Order: sequence, then structure tokens, then C-alpha cells
Amino acid sequence: MGTYILRRALINIPVIWMVATVVFFATSVLPGDYVAQRIAAQNPIPDNPELAQQQLDAVREDLGLDDPVGVRYLQYMGNLLQGDFGTSFETRENAIKGFMDGFPYTLQLGIMTLIVATMTAIPIGILSAIRQDTISDYVLRVFSIIALAAPNFWVATMLLLYVIRGIPLPFTDAEIGWTIDLTSQALIWEDPITSLKLFAIPAIAGGIAAGAGVMRLLRSQMLEVLRADYIRTAWAKGMRERSVVVRHALKNAMIPVLTVLGLQIAGLIGGSVVFEFLFNIPGVGNRILRSITARDVPVVQAFILVIATFVVFVNLAVDVAYSIVDPRIRFS
Amino acid sequence: MASESTATDLVLGVPKSNSDRPFPLRATRAVGHFMVSKPLGGFGIVIILIIVAMAVFAPWVSRYDPEQLFSKPNPDFRPDLYEQSLTNPLIKLQYADHPEYFINGEIARPLESPSREHWLGTDRFSHDLYSRIIYGARLSLFVGIGASIIAMLLGTFFGVISGFFGGWVDMVLQRTTDAMLAFPSLILLLLFVQVLEQPNKYFITVALGIVGISQVIRITRASVLATREEVYVLAARSIGASNHRVMLRHILPNIMAPIIVIFTITIGAYILAEAGLQFIGFGDPTEISWGKMINEGRSSGTAKPLMALFCGIAITLAVLGFNLAGDALRDELDPRLRGR
Repeated sequence: MGTYILRRALINIPVIWMVATVVFFATSVLPGDYVAQRIAAQNPIPDNPELAQQQLDAVREDLGLDDPVGVRYLQYMGNLLQGDFGTSFETRENAIKGFMDGFPYTLQLGIMTLIVATMTAIPIGILSAIRQDTISDYVLRVFSIIALAAPNFWVATMLLLYVIRGIPLPFTDAEIGWTIDLTSQALIWEDPITSLKLFAIPAIAGGIAAGAGVMRLLRSQMLEVLRADYIRTAWAKGMRERSVVVRHALKNAMIPVLTVLGLQIAGLIGGSVVFEFLFNIPGVGNRILRSITARDVPVVQAFILVIATFVVFVNLAVDVAYSIVDPRIRFS
Repeated sequence: MASESTATDLVLGVPKSNSDRPFPLRATRAVGHFMVSKPLGGFGIVIILIIVAMAVFAPWVSRYDPEQLFSKPNPDFRPDLYEQSLTNPLIKLQYADHPEYFINGEIARPLESPSREHWLGTDRFSHDLYSRIIYGARLSLFVGIGASIIAMLLGTFFGVISGFFGGWVDMVLQRTTDAMLAFPSLILLLLFVQVLEQPNKYFITVALGIVGISQVIRITRASVLATREEVYVLAARSIGASNHRVMLRHILPNIMAPIIVIFTITIGAYILAEAGLQFIGFGDPTEISWGKMINEGRSSGTAKPLMALFCGIAITLAVLGFNLAGDALRDELDPRLRGR
């Protein structure tokens, strides 16, 4: 087991190196660098092109952008190895600080999304499988097919308009008056009720979309498992339906579902960009969006690198968990 | 079924085997069989055909030019007061609270409710929403299908090479794939899209396709690994076929099923991704796009939520069509992929 984990962890090192390299070169070919943007925004550009160039060069030198790309790449890698992510152009702070500030928001949103996803996917998946080809199965399947196709940002927009902004529901005068102040964002330990209300809608919109895939996978896995011999044995022993389904069938059907859930945890950090944009949540996604438009290259590099590292190690954790739940994996 | 045709059939000259029939008949039968055995998939294909027709025949199906701005005569215009104000300017001061009484001309018609004239109402810029939704199908289909073709071509190429040669080629390609999968795809996409000063739809299509390659590489490689050990590959090798020939003539045709399935299923995902990009304002600003229209509907406030509603339904239906068709194709062509 130990060597398995170690081997998998070592494979991740070149992967992270590759991500760092790709991000470095991708950000260095972006047009309109930070310097030009900032100077255009703040200072009147001197009429004399020579003076304007001097000004550009001075700021570039100040930010360490005047070296050739190769030299900067080596410097960047050297700094990374010492745990230095560089300095943000905009705030002149450590590039990773913005990530630290935004992470609690993204984490809270991610956890709430995951809760919604599992709370809808698992009961519906089980119900749909044990009541196969009944009306409730059809209704739930249609629901999951539509939930998978509907854009999650659209679902969130409609919930935002009808629930928070209080548009009367179609054909009635009924309003859901859920007043939420979208200008101040509280974390759950700062102001639990406001915070839960604000995060509930993106969590529901994201959770249903994420849950729909899990739901379908769980249903097909359950159907397969329910036909297995050991389930017939369990029935024959005279066990109650509840324990046959939960203790015997669900346990085995959950193994591949766990993998998919794990992959979704990995996707939550990078995937929350749209919701954070829509609800003005100052999380990781919103910050990276702003850094990309502002060409704050060190911040973009640091964010992507940290997210990719997170994804890689979540995948590792999922694989290890998988091999614990299903020992056949380890020996094949 | 070829195996079912007997000697008597041959003697009587009755072509019982489907492959003996002329192609148009064969294709019709195959489609008919598919529609009957997979009604949901058939439903998906019908949706796809409707949306393709919308895109292709947009100028005929849409009732107005999507860029046409609608206006109407000012309903509050008071000709009597206007006449008086020409001779007596003081009358304007008297009605200072109602400047609209004196506007003799056309006013815009933003965010109107559905009517006989505008089936889905108008958007916030006074365009006809129905026409814009029809034209929006063009961008979604172009990007969705284009990106899927790019991902499929490049992904199959690298996947076959990776699975066929193994060794260090496989190692390098697999680590690259791992790195691409580790990237948060939306953020990678945002970076790519920013490389051009103003992103256009061709560039976004290529960027989406490249971001999606890794998944195709994975699936192709797995299929190649299974096919590589087959007897017919061994047979081809033993008569001295080159690597090139084995890959193109023996392996590729045998892994087409999963590739076609992945192709269909990912179109829906690309349509969603493109709409998401447009929604957060990172798309091509000159195109008519469903995603952008949802954001316009959102930011035009609470008065008329219909705009966001209709555009969302359009995206959902398009994605639904490709998902249903893809699922049915998968069950038909490659049951092993079920649940992926």
C-alpha cells in the first residue's frame, strides 16, 4: 500500500511541473501586458514615442519583466522550488495571498454544492433503481436527463430572478420574498443565516447539475448489482428490503460512484467561477477571473498551479480510497 | 442477418441479408430500427434535426432580421399640446413632469411581452427575441460540432499512437494528458480565449476542442490497448503489414464505435461550455449567442424574466438532443461504455 501511494505521488511531480510550464508560457503570450494596460489607465501617455517607451521600460524593469522569456522561466521555476509564487503586480503582495483570502468562500460553496449533490443523487438513484420501470422511475429519470442538459448558470439565474429578486411566479401573484443583500458576502461562521441564504442558490443550481450524473451512474450500478447472486441470497435469507438494498446492494454499487464524486470534488474549485461571478462571491474563481482580465500574471500562475496540485492530489486520494474499498484494484 | 440467409434464399435470388440490399433502403431500415428500439434516442435525433434546420434555414424561419431594432410611435404624444407649444413655449413648463407629451416620433420597444407580432417578445435592445433565438442556434451548433470534431481528430490521433506504440511515447503522452486533466478546464479556456485581443468563434472552437482532447485520448487509448491483442492484428503483422497500415486499416476501423459515441456526447458539453463563456462575457461579442442573451436577460432586471427563460430553454433542448442521441448510440454501438 505504502509503495503504491508513493509511486502514484511521484508520478504527480512531472504532471505539476508540466502544468507550471504550460501556465508560464500561456500567460507570457497573452496580448496587452499588465504594464501597458496600467500605464494607459493611470498616466497620460507622453506624445513623444521615445519617452513613452522609456516609461514602459522603467515599469517593466521594476516588475522584473525586462528579461527574456527563457531567463524569466528559469527564475520562476527556481522561485517555485523555494515556495515563492512571486508578487502580484496589482497589490504588490505575495501572489498566493489572494487565493488564501478567497479559498474559504469557494470551500463553503463547494461543500454546500457537494451536500446538495449527494443528498439528491443517492436517494433518487436508489429509488429509481429499486422501482425500475414504474412511474416514479420515469419521472426521476426525466428529471435527471433534463438536469444534466440545463446549463447550471441558467438554473442559478432563474432562481436568482424568481427567489431573490422576487418576481411573481408564472400565472400567480405569489412572490418568494427572500431578501438577500448581494453586496456583502458573509461566511458561515461570520453570519450563518445570511451566509446560508446567499450560498444556497448557487449550491442548489450546481448541486443538481453535479448530482444528475451521479444519479444516473448510481441507478445503472444498482440495477446491475441487484441482479447479483448475493442479493438473491440475501432475499432468500429473509432479510428486510431495507437491509438488502442499503447493506448489500448500495455498498457495492457505490464503488464507481465514489470515483465520480471524487472527480467532482476536484472540479468544484475550478468550476465555481460562473457562480461566483453571478453572485458576486469573492472566492477563488472570481479572483482568477479578475486577474486574467487585469493580466496580473503572477497571480494567475499561482492560482492555476495551486488548483492543479489540489486536483492531482484529490485524484490520488480517490484512487487510494478506491483501492481500500475494492482491494482487487491494488493487485491488478 | 447474414448468417440467417440459407441456400434456398440464394437459389430463389431473394436477398434476405440486409447487406445485400441497396444502400438507401439499408440506411432507412437501420434508422427505422433505431427509432423503434430507442425512442428516447429518436426523440433526441428529432430535436437535433429541428435545431439544425433552425440554423440552416434561419433567414426563412425567423420572422425578422435579428439585428432589426423595433420602435413604435410614442403613445403618450399629445398633438394638441404639441401644436400649442409651437406658438406658446410656456406650455412646456406647465407640463414639465411629462416631457413625453412633446416627443413627436418613434420610441424603442425593449423587453416587451410575447405578442402576435413578436412571438417571444423583444429583448432589452428592442430586437425580436424569437428571431435572435433562431439565429443563436448557428453559433451553438458551429462551436459544439466544430470543437467536437477537433477534439475527436486530434484525440484519436494521439490516442492511437499512445496505445499502439506504448513505451516512452505512451508515457510522455499519458503524463501530458494527466496534466491537461489536472487543469481546471474553464480557467484554461479563459486563458486560451484571452490570447486574441478579441476572441472570434473559430478561435473559441479550437480552444474548446484542445481543452477536450485529453478525454478522447484516454478512451481511444483504452480501446486500442484492447484491440492491439486481437488475432486479426497479429495476422496482419505476420503477413508483414507496416505499423502505419495496421493502425489505419486494422485498429482504427475497430475502435470507431466508442469514437462516434464520444463525438456525439461531447457536442452537448461543448455547447454548454460555449454558452458559459458567453455568459461571463468571455465569448465573441459580435455573435448572437444564447449564453450572452441569458446574461442580458439577467442584467435587464426583474421586469421581464422571459428573455433569460427562453434562451435557457433553447440551450437545454439543444444539449438534451445531443445527450439523448449519444446515450442511445452508446447503448447501440458500445455497451461497455455505459455509465461513463
